[in-house]
Amino acid sequence: MKKMDKKWVILCSTAIAAIYAADYVSTDTQAAIDQPMQHIANNVQKYHKSNNNKVINRTPKSLYKNGTYIGTGTNRRGSIDVAVTIKNDKVINVEISNFEMHYSESDIVELPNEVVQNQSAKVTNVSGATYSTKAFEDAVQDALYQAKNVAG
Amino acid sequence: MKKTKLYMDTVVDIQVVTRKSREETEAKINRAFHAFQKVEQACSRFTSSSELMQACQKVGTPVEISPFLFEPLFFAIEIAKLTEGLFDPTVGKIMEEGGFNRHYVTGKIIESPSSASVSYQDIVLNPQTHTLTLRKPLVIDLGAVAKGFAIDLAAKELKEFDGFVVNAGGDLFAGGVDQNGDPWNIGIQHPQQKDTIIGSIKISDEAICTSGSYERRNPNRLGSHHLVNPKTKQSPNEWTSCSVIAPFAMMADAFSTVSFLLGVKKGRSLLKELNLKGFLITPELQISKVGGI
Repeated sequence: MKKMDKKWVILCSTAIAAIYAADYVSTDTQAAIDQPMQHIANNVQKYHKSNNNKVINRTPKSLYKNGTYIGTGTNRRGSIDVAVTIKNDKVINVEISNFEMHYSESDIVELPNEVVQNQSAKVTNVSGATYSTKAFEDAVQDALYQAKNVAG
Repeated sequence: MKKTKLYMDTVVDIQVVTRKSREETEAKINRAFHAFQKVEQACSRFTSSSELMQACQKVGTPVEISPFLFEPLFFAIEIAKLTEGLFDPTVGKIMEEGGFNRHYVTGKIIESPSSASVSYQDIVLNPQTHTLTLRKPLVIDLGAVAKGFAIDLAAKELKEFDGFVVNAGGDLFAGGVDQNGDPWNIGIQHPQQKDTIIGSIKISDEAICTSGSYERRNPNRLGSHHLVNPKTKQSPNEWTSCSVIAPFAMMADAFSTVSFLLGVKKGRSLLKELNLKGFLITPELQISKVGGI
């Protein structure tokens, strides 16, 4: 049965290779995508203006204003700030901008002394420590609330 | 350098050990995060706009899907075949009914149509045409492979650095060496005392993923959690935590789930058979190691 383990390694490396074989170029970051799109949009608009002399002015009502908003969430263990970026009513990025939780991050870095002594090495990464995302959710909701388009 | 973002209801933390410039490092880290975004957009069960949920609206006709969905789904089905359906990606509806149905950003509840009895055999994948055909209405859950796949793609973006860790809520890939030039020392979460670790292991260019019953409890049913046997619809409890170390995170992710579902005896022997390393813990806190760690 020893040969069986190779199968899964091959499946995983093939899976990764498939992404790169398809058009997933590593330069395809959000910024890179947005720029040409914006460019195209501007050109299209110009083209329409000059040819039709009629600008379609029906902007659909948007739920949120575009931009990046900072929201805060707190629980017994501390507080957390997230930066939520919204574009065309879609959340395109949620970055944790400030982490002041007495949670995994801080607690695990300053592990109880006896553990550090026993393991004789500092551990900064832990497997199996799922962060509870409740405080993050609150922070995201807070940011979304700020982004709400009251007029729209 | 270290950055943290939120993807797939998980805090994703990427840290890099390097002498390269700040700009160059930051650009690479952003590309690694981008892999998470792509996999989430393709594989999320929680939003109707994902490629997965869009593709699942058509039953009986082949739908072409991108490799971001095709590859993890293909892998999940291979694992389902290996375990004769103990691990089954069509467990989605059972999860939805169990209360795992809320999008972590929008809070929106999703409710999807599904036949009463489904299995991985109702999913047909064609590797030539990259199409997916459903034989019945069903909900696919890629929870046990998609995150691992995203970690592996992120790791590929970072592999030229002296060292890096992609940590997605405790499932992680550690590449190269740490700040001191040593292999990465990774703690294993104590299943009962949140702020302590129960052991640690040293890894380099390897992934470790943990399936535990102590996090993500079922909001609707007491004593139940996110690891479900699709045949019995019950959560097994022979282990409380299964950490598996493998060359890829998708492998570690899937086999930590499988060894959890298989229980003590079968779980251990499967890991041995596949030449994988495991750090497994029973509810009585007995530690069982596999593969000479």
